[in-house]
Amino acid sequence: MEVRPQQYKLNIVESGLFIRRQSKPRIITKHDDEWESINLALGTMFCSRCGEGFDPEDKIVNSNGELWHPDCFVCAQCFRRFPDGTFYEFDGRKYCEHDFHVLFAPCCAKCGEFIIGRVIKAMNANWHPRCFQCQMCEKELADLGFIKNQGRSLCHDCNAKVKAEGLGKYMCHKCHGVIDDKPLRFRGEVYHPYHYNCSACGVELNSDAREVKSRPGYAANDMNQLYCLRCHDKMGIPICGACRRPIEERVVTALGKHWHVEHFVCAKCEKPFLGHRHYEKKGLAYCETHYHQLFGNLCFICNQVITGDVVTALNKAWCQHHFACALCDQRLNPKSKFYEFDTKPACKKCYEKLPVELRKRLKKMHDQAAKRTMSSPVPNP
Amino acid sequence: MNSAPVSCNFVNSKMTRTKKILDEAREIKNPELDLVEKGLATFDELPGLLSMEFVTRLTLSHNKIRSIPSTVANLVNLEILTLFNNQLEELPTAISSLPKLRILNVGLNRLTNLGRGFGACPSLEILDVTHNKLSEEGLPGNFWMMETLRALYMGDNYFENISPEIGKLRNLQILVLRNNNINHIPRDIGNLTRLREFHIQGNTIQWLPPEIANLDLGGGRSIIRIEDNPLAPPLADQWILGAHHLLEFVKTDAYKSLYGNAHRTRR
Repeated sequence: MEVRPQQYKLNIVESGLFIRRQSKPRIITKHDDEWESINLALGTMFCSRCGEGFDPEDKIVNSNGELWHPDCFVCAQCFRRFPDGTFYEFDGRKYCEHDFHVLFAPCCAKCGEFIIGRVIKAMNANWHPRCFQCQMCEKELADLGFIKNQGRSLCHDCNAKVKAEGLGKYMCHKCHGVIDDKPLRFRGEVYHPYHYNCSACGVELNSDAREVKSRPGYAANDMNQLYCLRCHDKMGIPICGACRRPIEERVVTALGKHWHVEHFVCAKCEKPFLGHRHYEKKGLAYCETHYHQLFGNLCFICNQVITGDVVTALNKAWCQHHFACALCDQRLNPKSKFYEFDTKPACKKCYEKLPVELRKRLKKMHDQAAKRTMSSPVPNP
Repeated sequence: MNSAPVSCNFVNSKMTRTKKILDEAREIKNPELDLVEKGLATFDELPGLLSMEFVTRLTLSHNKIRSIPSTVANLVNLEILTLFNNQLEELPTAISSLPKLRILNVGLNRLTNLGRGFGACPSLEILDVTHNKLSEEGLPGNFWMMETLRALYMGDNYFENISPEIGKLRNLQILVLRNNNINHIPRDIGNLTRLREFHIQGNTIQWLPPEIANLDLGGGRSIIRIEDNPLAPPLADQWILGAHHLLEFVKTDAYKSLYGNAHRTRR
């Protein structure tokens, strides 16, 4: 006649000290089928606790082949019967659930609760599996394993990260190894360049690879793609005319070239125009001030930038009030006739006072020059 | 007798007219004095003029003035001095001590030299010595030190050589050497990067230095005048086609070697 108590196992990791068992005993009464056979042997059976025999009217508790009076089958700590008959056994003694927990169950180092079931023993403490986490990224470590780093339990990833930071090196976001050479930056992370291939030609990348950031219309970082330098250069991404680097943000197009906004500057003062008006001259751009200073109509007489009305003639410019005969300083009316003398203006009165011989030569030279400008586009046969 | 006596009446009326102009100018402190064609022969006929410090422009064109007194240095605010068509034979050294003089026109005079130390003019921007009797000997040693010069008119003179020191006039925009006896333009002309008018008509120039191509003389706002020179045939051919063609040709290695050969054989 065998009574088998039901077994519940507590999964205790890394511990050989405890034998923990939750059992349910079998209580035998005279109405049971077993009663007849037990009754026969009554004289030879004794209670495991008090050592007394059993009356035929008594109930007998049978656990694992040992027999007790029901009143003797109690918790070794509180001497009360086991609720539901469930007990926990330790070192040959039986305890109710409550006292067993109080006396022997481990407490979680994180949440302070008893641990029933799986216990993680690590870092000189016990943990619920869900409570034992990487102290940087809070990943559960029970199945991943962990690394002790300066009193912290870290997952492999975080440990590598910390280690790489300590070495002043980057850690590859893909293989988590330390990057010894130049890293490849991609979508905000760093990688070993050899994990990627050029999106165009498929060649394995090196650190010269270029990340093509979101093009107009695509804002998301994850639209970015990697290209080897050769393919990148062929893609028609605008190159800044000043720094020769690709322009990935706003592009200024001027002087037949593209420019970073901050690299499109006045050729004289080197300040960026930042959207302000610029003036072009001989392939260079100038701010308003310096354009006028350098090329603007500087008055032939005062050599200052002409702010008011400008008189232009004879390859020169004048403030209206400085436009005068070069020989007598009398003001000239821009609309009236004047004579050319070494590409300076001369009034009629002065011109007529010149020696006749000089006047003849001046007229001849003037006519020659006029003829040249008229006929110069057509080469003489 | 050359100096015929003139009537006292005329002298008096002339004196009164100019005196009136000066008095008026003094009264309203007019900084611009016009004394054109007043028959003046000397500054003595302009009493008190050289103490009118407020004058910034003095125009004495079409007179018969033979010399400028050194007291002209009193006109410390003078910026523009025009003496076109007079009878000046030399300039006083005092001219170079006028601190603000920017424009000096002494064209159509009888100058044989500019006077000692002329190059010390601190602010001179435009110098016009057209139609005088100047040759390189008439230029003082410091003439090419005037870095402030932006225009130099030396047409109708007796120059035969232009000093290589001309390359020091870095601000020069206009250079007129028309109608002299110049047969060689120094290579240093290539340093005048701001030059935009270059007049060398009527000289005896056969070759132009290749450095002239450094200058932007072919552009729309530039003037180059070379007529009436005995240009070497390769240059003459290009000049017929236009200034632009000539300047492009002067850049070529072919021309550089031609130029080099021509100057080696000459020596």
